[in-house]
Amino acid sequence: MTLTHHLLLGAALFLIGVFGALTRRNIIGILMSIELMFNAANINLAAFNHFLHPEGVLGMTTALFIITVAAAEVVVGLALVLAIYRNCESVYAEDFNLLKG
Amino acid sequence: MIEAIAFYTFAAVTLIGAFGVVTLRNTIYSALCLGLCLAGVAGIFANLGADFLFASQLLIYVGGIAILIVFAVMLLGRTSDLHLKQVNEQWAAAFLIGAVTWVGLWRAAKIFSHTPLPIPEAAKTTRAIGLLMMGDLAVPFEAISLVLLAALLGAVFFSRKENP
Repeated sequence: MTLTHHLLLGAALFLIGVFGALTRRNIIGILMSIELMFNAANINLAAFNHFLHPEGVLGMTTALFIITVAAAEVVVGLALVLAIYRNCESVYAEDFNLLKG
Repeated sequence: MIEAIAFYTFAAVTLIGAFGVVTLRNTIYSALCLGLCLAGVAGIFANLGADFLFASQLLIYVGGIAILIVFAVMLLGRTSDLHLKQVNEQWAAAFLIGAVTWVGLWRAAKIFSHTPLPIPEAAKTTRAIGLLMMGDLAVPFEAISLVLLAALLGAVFFSRKENP
């Protein structure tokens, strides 16, 4: 397996994530699509680490940091979703128009 | 040979899971597909020789984040949601953006295919990652622990019943 295969897998996963983040109406669906994009970045980092710098582990460590930030992001995101649901009684992004005045 | 079979299997699991996440109408099925997709990514990591990354992907993503999202879906859903359309009317434009970017990334990735790289031997990485985190990356390590603490406090603050 070459680096190109992994890069193309990462690109496909990222673009599926972009498609989901642009089109899902449900905000939990948008959060899940963002997780897909994080994972695509992690695949690319691990692949570059494995094929271009096999003697170091800096790419994998960066991927670990990304996993940590993703965990923090999803926790805060879901808490925000719960708070918004309590106010708007909806989980659809087009109903969140309180700031329009 | 065995690596190629493993790679294609895990890539298929990942892409099918990701496709389910963005297309399925029932959000709980989407969340379960997300767990499948993250497990496939963990398999890709194992195939790349990143053993510690594989373990943390399984522990944090599959065991933590996917379960948390399933909990949130169960807390927030209504039964009428199951019959509503889950994509907005801009899906054609989003598909076009994805297709055009895919072609561009395909052409960019082809540059790497002309320079064959040596396939390195897999080695244990846990000790090296630990030494790196306690040595060169000590400051980002402490910063990330602060970020986690702030996320914990923020989650507690936002999910309280009455916000002052």
